Amino acid sequence: MGGFFSAFAISASGLTAERMRLDLISNNIANMNTTGRPNDPANPPYRRRIPVFAQILEQAEDTGTSRPLFRGAGVRVTRVLEDNNPPRLVYDPTHPHADEKGYVAYPNINIVNEMVNMITATRAYEANVTALNAAKEMALKALEIGRG
Amino acid sequence: MDLFSNRVMVALKKELDAGALRQRVIANNIANVNTPAFKKSTVVFESLLKKALERKPVEMVTTDPRHFSGKPLLAGLTPEVNLIRTTSMRTDGNNVDIDEEMANLAANSMQYQAAVKELADRYSGLSYVISGGRR
Repeated sequence: MGGFFSAFAISASGLTAERMRLDLISNNIANMNTTGRPNDPANPPYRRRIPVFAQILEQAEDTGTSRPLFRGAGVRVTRVLEDNNPPRLVYDPTHPHADEKGYVAYPNINIVNEMVNMITATRAYEANVTALNAAKEMALKALEIGRG
Repeated sequence: MDLFSNRVMVALKKELDAGALRQRVIANNIANVNTPAFKKSTVVFESLLKKALERKPVEMVTTDPRHFSGKPLLAGLTPEVNLIRTTSMRTDGNNVDIDEEMANLAANSMQYQAAVKELADRYSGLSYVISGGRR
C-alpha cells in the first residue's frame, strides 16, 4: 500500500510539471523579441520551447505473489522540444541583426497561444493543489482514529 | 466476539484502504490532465463491498492451515483499478475530464472522512465500555 505519501508525491509531480511548463511559457514570452539574423546559424533567433509530459509508472515490485493494484505515480517532463517553425521575418534595415536584404528574424511566438497555455497550466496547477489539500485533509482526519 | 474484526469494522477499514487508493488514482488523473494520450483510471470498490456483504458466510471445514477457511469474502476484499481506454476528451487522446475528477475528489474525501468518523466513534464506544463508563 502506497498510502497517502504516494498520493502527495503524485500531486507534487503534477505541480512540478505544471510549474516547469509555466517557466517555459514565461521564458517564451520574455524572449518574444530575442531576434537573430535570418539564415545565419551563428546568430539564430530564440526558438519557442515546449515541454513533453509523460506519465510515470512505478516499477512492478518483484514480490511474486501480489502485483500492485495501481502503478501510476504522477507525471514528469521527459523532454523540452524546440519549435522548428520558421522565424517571422520583419523588415528593419537599421537593426543590428538585419541581413543584406534588411530583414530581421523574430521568434515565431504567438502571444495569444502563450497566454492560453499559461491559463491552462495555471488551472492544472490549481487542480493539483486541490488534490494535494484533499489528501492532506484525509490523512489528518485518519490521525483522529482512536483519539478519545 | 470479535472486538476489532467484526464485519462492520472490517468493512470500514477496507473502505479506508479503498479511499486512499482512489485518492492516488484521482491525483494521478489530475496530474496527467495535460499528458498526451494519457488514459484515466477509476477505482471500483463499493459494488464489490456490497457483494461481499450480501454473501452468506459459509463455514467450510479446513484440515490444513493453508486451506481457504470459507470465512466471509470481506477479509480478502481488494478494490479494482480499471483503465478507461475507450473514450477521448481531446484530439491528443487524453480522456481526463477535469470536472468529473474534481467532483470525484471531493466525494472521495467526504466519503473517507465519514468512514473515519464512524470507525473513530466505534473505537471510542469500546473505550467508553472498557473504562466502565468513567471518562
